[in-house]
Amino acid sequence: MTDTTTRTDTDDFDPHALAEQAFLDEVHSFQFWFDSIEGYLTDRPYGRRGTTDEDPIDDRRRERLITTLCNYAVGETAALEGAAGLVQLAPDRNSKIFMATQVADEARHLEVFLHRLRELGVADPESEIERRAQPALVDFKGALLDLVDGGDWQAAVFAQNVILETMEYTVFRLHAANADAVTRDVLAGVIADERRHAGFGENDLGRSLAVDPSGRARLREIRSQLDPMVLGVFEGALDDVGAPTDERHRLAGEYLDTVERLGLT
Amino acid sequence: MTDVDVSAPEITSDTTRQRYELEEMGFKEVPKKWRKFYRYWQGPDDTLAPNEVICPVCKVVIRATRELRPGDKVYCMPCMSRMVVVVGENGRLEADVVF
Repeated sequence: MTDTTTRTDTDDFDPHALAEQAFLDEVHSFQFWFDSIEGYLTDRPYGRRGTTDEDPIDDRRRERLITTLCNYAVGETAALEGAAGLVQLAPDRNSKIFMATQVADEARHLEVFLHRLRELGVADPESEIERRAQPALVDFKGALLDLVDGGDWQAAVFAQNVILETMEYTVFRLHAANADAVTRDVLAGVIADERRHAGFGENDLGRSLAVDPSGRARLREIRSQLDPMVLGVFEGALDDVGAPTDERHRLAGEYLDTVERLGLT
Repeated sequence: MTDVDVSAPEITSDTTRQRYELEEMGFKEVPKKWRKFYRYWQGPDDTLAPNEVICPVCKVVIRATRELRPGDKVYCMPCMSRMVVVVGENGRLEADVVF
């Protein structure tokens, strides 16, 4: 909570006093990204605090966690490949710079999940991921990369930074709430990154649709194709992480709120 | 989404508004100089001060150095959203995203 007082020098760095373009330049910059991740990733090798010890994990829980992490790795690989392709498609330099920071984020996410799999005793994560990947998630990855390959910035941003990122943001938060201590550490850093990615997607699309609302019809069609795929993945992932029903309804509603704000319902 | 002139001043400066000195509250997802302007929302039991609104996009609490009023424009740096303060159905201040 805040305290009342007289004026101080806080206004010197008041984000709400920035002009619109200055705000956009700031939040899309590499420097902003670098100074942001410094706050929550410093001294956390592979996302883990040095003071965090492993919780005891029984065999059944360990198996479920490995399956969950394998599917996270599939999602992060999709996001890494998608973001890398989107750098070239981005319509302006700010978006290219932001998307480059997202490439670095996605690569780190993939790395920390692979590292966690090895910590859990998975000797060959590549083959384990192939064996445990949800087919619907693999299908979604293919659909996303098709949009990127087709050079469709708006559709690819919708698929990746709105649909995929919102799903990941939701699942990771629910998982973090009941995860073992080390996995919770790893997820905390990833969740902080996802906030930027999902926010970029909604705001970039929101601005372009405000200029040209005709894009909504096409995005609604893409949504109708991708939603069934995503919902299957979403339900499976929430089952895996043992998400309570009321919480999953509340957080799943956040995706619907996003598409409603964008006028895509 | 709300249709407003986003080029207007963000929060009107006047002497009738209560002022707040902000301190960092553990939110580290933005560069240090901006951190005191944001905090984590603690859930439905979290009471917001008159200088705070929740970002509808990422659910972070946005904080200002002055009491907020309807029509004020604020930024959520953690998720890059711009928004305008409105009075919600429950009579409390809320934020609507501006694209």
